Amino acid sequence: MREAGRTKLAIAGLRSGYGATDVIAGISLEIPAGEICALMGKNGMGKTTLLKSVMGLLPLREGRVGLDGEDITGWTPARLLARGLGYAPQELPLFQDLTILDNLRLALRDDRALAPALERVFGYFPFLAERLNQKAGTLSGGEQKMLILSRSLMLQPDLLLVDEISEGVQPSVVQRIARALLGECERRGMTVLLVEQNLGFALSVAHRWAVLKLGHIQESGENDAAAHARIMEHLKI
Amino acid sequence: MVLVLDSLTTAAVLFIVSSGLFMIFGVLQIINFAHGAWLGLGAYATVVTTALGVSPWLALPLAFVVGGVLGGLTERLVVRPLYARPLDAILATWGLGIVIGQLITLAFGRDVQMIPVLMTGTVDVLGTAYSAYRLTAIAIALAIGLGFVLALERTRLGLTARAVIMNEALARALGINTARVRLATFMLGSAVAACAGVLLTPLTSVDPNMGVIWLIGCFMLVMVSGSSVRALALACIVFGTAQVAVGTYVSPILGGMTVAVLCALMLRLRPKGFAGV
Repeated sequence: MREAGRTKLAIAGLRSGYGATDVIAGISLEIPAGEICALMGKNGMGKTTLLKSVMGLLPLREGRVGLDGEDITGWTPARLLARGLGYAPQELPLFQDLTILDNLRLALRDDRALAPALERVFGYFPFLAERLNQKAGTLSGGEQKMLILSRSLMLQPDLLLVDEISEGVQPSVVQRIARALLGECERRGMTVLLVEQNLGFALSVAHRWAVLKLGHIQESGENDAAAHARIMEHLKI
Repeated sequence: MVLVLDSLTTAAVLFIVSSGLFMIFGVLQIINFAHGAWLGLGAYATVVTTALGVSPWLALPLAFVVGGVLGGLTERLVVRPLYARPLDAILATWGLGIVIGQLITLAFGRDVQMIPVLMTGTVDVLGTAYSAYRLTAIAIALAIGLGFVLALERTRLGLTARAVIMNEALARALGINTARVRLATFMLGSAVAACAGVLLTPLTSVDPNMGVIWLIGCFMLVMVSGSSVRALALACIVFGTAQVAVGTYVSPILGGMTVAVLCALMLRLRPKGFAGV
């Protein structure tokens, strides 16, 4: 369900970081509605910082963020979530001592919409339904990643920010994750900013790509026959 | 028999008096040294209801509201900038406690207040006549403990509070207003502490600095309990019993110091205290 032309996310001249350093040093990036954009780059290049900045978890030092043409710069995470943003983080992404159910519940502000939301994510990851009372910390790495993605889908976001969801996950689980992402994109026209290190997975789902290097977008393009070689050019040591 | 009842009721009183401090520490990881002042404020709510000539039980809702409002103001104005500096927060709340003690002195004078007891009479327990009020304290402690466990484990607010304790960055990323959770917790903890002050009035003399004596014991009990209600209950029973034993067989004066000394000893030998029991 790609709609030609309409821009979902527009990042312009973004600068952000921790302490005295700018990790993101002026990034501009646009993603058309309904598309998956893979953001590649080696460790420490600023991919996670960019997602945190867009999600309102780090103060922006410069630049604007637009969603459907509306300026959402400086919004709180709560307001962004209500506006249709979703986030699947990489660092400390789950409440380890809470159950699967409580982790999923915490994506919603109250329990009224809980049952249908659970039903939807169980469609992609049925194992969650059978182990609702298991502590998140006791799940395997791949199961934790599926739970993180499920939680980010509970509110049916229009734009999902995904941080290295395939990291350390076996191929069969990567496939299930890919199916969930593509399913939401096709069913509701969800847009995704997919931060990845796994090039094979990224290019199997993405419509376009960008490579981040030292806080800048080094190169970007459509996911065509040349994409793999061009990205590899940037990622090799 | 009296010793057993004394131990149980002492544990109950310790639990009631510590619970407000415990709530604030459990969620916010901040030791509120103004806790003694909240206890004092609550006790003086009883002085106010006495002056008005109404039932002393009405001091409970009064203390709850006054404690909650003052707790909210304290969180906003004093504690909020200090979450990242827990030692400074101890100093700031200690100072606040002194200020509140002085304000109570200004308003009510330095003297010990005479107030009617909440409940009189004795109940026969297996042949022993025992203070009805002290027995009621056990029920109140159980109610607070159960209420606390249920609120944390069965309600949405409790789930949110636990999420903030476990991983505040993630809670924020999920849109939880962590500042509001902190404010609500501090208000509730202060309100419960003020109510505990009301409940203390039949057991202790009411003067402007009455809370300070209790503060150290509460502080030590919370230190050995971490964030676990069950650990706090256990600590109160163990150290409450020890206090009664020392007070009865050794000396009442040493008995008063038992809780603090034993808790300090325990933290020396087992830094995690009862947490994880």
